Amino acid sequence: MAKNDLTTRNLMLDSLKQYAKNRISFNFIREHDAKNEIPLDILKEMYDHNILGVHLLLIPEEYGGLGGQTTEIYRICEQLARIDLGIATGVFATFLGSDPLNVGGTPEQKAKWFKKIAHENKLVAYGATEADAGSDLVSLRTRAEHVVKDGKVVGYKITGSKMWISNGGVADIYTVLALAPGGPSWFIVEKGTPGFTQDAHEDKHGIRLSNTAGLSFDEVYVPAENLIGLKEGQGFLQAQAVFGYTRLMVAAFGLGGGEEAVETALEYAGQRIQAGGPLSQKQGFMLKLITPHYVRFEAARAYIDWTAKQLEVNNHGLATEGAIAKLYATESGNKAAEDAIQAMGGFGYTKEFAVEKIKRDVKITCIYEGTSEVLEMTIFRGRWQEHLKSRGQYYLSQAAEFDTIHAQNPNVGADSVALGFRALARVLEDCRANKLTRHQYVTFMLGDLISEMEVAAVFTRECANKRVTEGSRFDIATLSTMARVNARQSAFKTASEGLRLILGTCPTINTAEVSQAVNLVGIEDKMRGLIDDMDTVSAKLREIFKK
Amino acid sequence: MNIIVCIKQVPDSTQVKVDPKTGTLIRAGVPSILNPYDHFALERALDIKAKTGAKVTLLSMGPNQATAVLRLGLALGADEGVLLSDRAFAGSDTWATSYALATAIKKIGGYDLILCGQMAIDGDTAQTGPGIAYHLNIPQITFCESIDASGNQVVVKKLIEGGHQILEADLPVLVTMTMPPDYVAKYPSFMAAHKAQDKTIHTWTAADIGADPSKLGLNGSPTRVDRIFPPPARAKGEMFSGSAVELANKFVEILKKESVLK
Ligand SMILES: Cc1cc2nc3c(=O)[nH]c(=O)nc-3n(C[C@H](O)[C@H](O)[C@H](O)COP(=O)(O)OP(=O)(O)OC[C@H]3O[C@@H](n4cnc5c(N)ncnc54)[C@H](O)[C@@H]3O)c2cc1C
Repeated sequence: MAKNDLTTRNLMLDSLKQYAKNRISFNFIREHDAKNEIPLDILKEMYDHNILGVHLLLIPEEYGGLGGQTTEIYRICEQLARIDLGIATGVFATFLGSDPLNVGGTPEQKAKWFKKIAHENKLVAYGATEADAGSDLVSLRTRAEHVVKDGKVVGYKITGSKMWISNGGVADIYTVLALAPGGPSWFIVEKGTPGFTQDAHEDKHGIRLSNTAGLSFDEVYVPAENLIGLKEGQGFLQAQAVFGYTRLMVAAFGLGGGEEAVETALEYAGQRIQAGGPLSQKQGFMLKLITPHYVRFEAARAYIDWTAKQLEVNNHGLATEGAIAKLYATESGNKAAEDAIQAMGGFGYTKEFAVEKIKRDVKITCIYEGTSEVLEMTIFRGRWQEHLKSRGQYYLSQAAEFDTIHAQNPNVGADSVALGFRALARVLEDCRANKLTRHQYVTFMLGDLISEMEVAAVFTRECANKRVTEGSRFDIATLSTMARVNARQSAFKTASEGLRLILGTCPTINTAEVSQAVNLVGIEDKMRGLIDDMDTVSAKLREIFKK
Repeated sequence: MNIIVCIKQVPDSTQVKVDPKTGTLIRAGVPSILNPYDHFALERALDIKAKTGAKVTLLSMGPNQATAVLRLGLALGADEGVLLSDRAFAGSDTWATSYALATAIKKIGGYDLILCGQMAIDGDTAQTGPGIAYHLNIPQITFCESIDASGNQVVVKKLIEGGHQILEADLPVLVTMTMPPDYVAKYPSFMAAHKAQDKTIHTWTAADIGADPSKLGLNGSPTRVDRIFPPPARAKGEMFSGSAVELANKFVEILKKESVLK
């Protein structure tokens, strides 16, 4: 059970929205974006206990925080992203920077640092990336050497540099990954420690309200008690333990950014008269540029929320689910922001409206905390193991579950999910039998298809259980229509892409045989009624977002 | 001093539309908020609490979801909440509602000051506050922009046509509040929202407060809402620009064409 109930969560969200409404106007954001300036006062106010105290969510209750649960943290992240992804990143960096401590810190370390972060409103930064160690953290070069006194390790001297660190130039406390004699380890370094300097703020494509800077360490001395967990070599484990969780938060960023862009476009479309009527009444306009994005947002929301609830039970782990959530939500948000510009035509392309900025901002969510390609590999590896372990049954047994769901509830697209899972199982099996995963490209695409199907499955299952995801503005009937649209498209993508991959890499395979096995025709047959369903969703969108 | 603030959860009227065909409110996807006048009244009660150490009790009638506005009030600093929730209250007009609220206030007891918003933005009647005062048989001052309480008295600034009145009244009294145009509502910090979970909200039924069932709901409501409709759209105006002389000539020309001028 979440410690903060739904009412409390909604109160927090309202406070955040009202704060933003009063303090962070679009013009304010626009000016800072143009000048590449960080609104440090805003971050400080957001951390102020009497105003918001957002950062208290990540601090356990015993150290004076709120011990926020995954659900409220992701919902706050989504809302922050709707305000501004740069500001959101500034807040998130503190969450991220505190995580190694949360996972690996000793009780004394937690007491010391969490109390500091909670009561002195300290900004935190998370320093992992280096010039030669981005996705590939194993190439880490920053070193931490022992400082020995009377035969005992009393401290470390850190030397090296970090790149593109969020809050890098403005944080008070840094968690830094460095190679100690016993292996990669996290260290806490405070601003002002001799030998520790911060580079200038980067000039970036987007999230320009977030400070990003390099860090340099020249024999920076930290006492041994600043080694997180007091044991060397735990760094990667501590980083990986929270990936499921941190990636879920970036997933919420992708969702929030995308929603804000498309909502702006939809409101505009309700008022923009072209060829005798508002754009929002034009079927092609809606079905091409607006409606599909709402379908994907609701699918993403269902999946993020479902993963969050699992994380609250399991505490850590769920690396594959976190990767799926992030890949799906951030890529959806990014495409949605692009279409939002298109939907607003010339206005969308100018700086008068927020969509142009959101488009620049949201791209970062496909890069930091694991690029989309790294996530595809992670997802592929995770589920490939399951496929092999179960001798190909992993997705077949899920297909059977969705047959049952469809028998009980024929209106949520469970039949398409079942077909999609069977196609996926077959594609994976053909890849195994013909050793097609020696192609890196195949593994990427499989990761993508897996995420597509797993998200569709969760969305459909939630609708079958008549559960409206927290934070959704749609009723269960509309969500079910969306789930139907989504399941058909995910199944279609899985079957058609799967065939493309197999036939594109395997010269010996029989086209007719594999096509039949993947059953693209059966999946296509489910397309009946698809456009009507999409029109139904469009009508609901017009009703909800009419000004 | 004991202050009771009556608060109501309302749909955010800036987002509500009326279906022109059926005349009903389209509430799909419209968020609920604390009635802004009540929000203002509540903040003024909390100012008095800060100064005098008064106890602030919140009272709301509504479905279970109305707990949200009580929580908001508790997070902002009120001490306790009471929710009147019962099917028997459903369909009450302002008369029956003020009877129910007054009956609950009697049960809370020991009150010195009752604060209400001037009106709720979903009905715009401004009748409930005065109705409560009637049922309790205590004096009332409406339309107040500010209030100060000390000892056994309140001093208020009441908005009147073309100006203000400064009035004093002895306690107990009921005051309805209206906010100045530049009012920015306060919202709680995350910690305050969290801590409000530990404060008490009593849920009372009609029987709990000993209300007479014949005075509640549709039975107890002498008024009925006949129809709700949006004002008919006005015909589109025409805009002209030019110098004063050009415009004057243009108007004369049009007025002649429309046979207003001969
Ligand atoms: C604005 C911003 C803020 C950031 N904040 C932080 C922060 O606070 N803390 C922090 O530690 N880091 C931060 N980063 C760094 C970020 O996490 C990295 O940029 C990210 O991990 C990718 O690493 P890279 O940039 O070196 O790209 P690379 O790893 O060089 O990747 C380049 C491209 O190659 C692909 N690729 C990578 N590996 C493979 C492979 N094995 N096979 C095939 N393709 C591959 C990638 O998907 C990508 O498309 C931030 C970056 C930015 C831009």
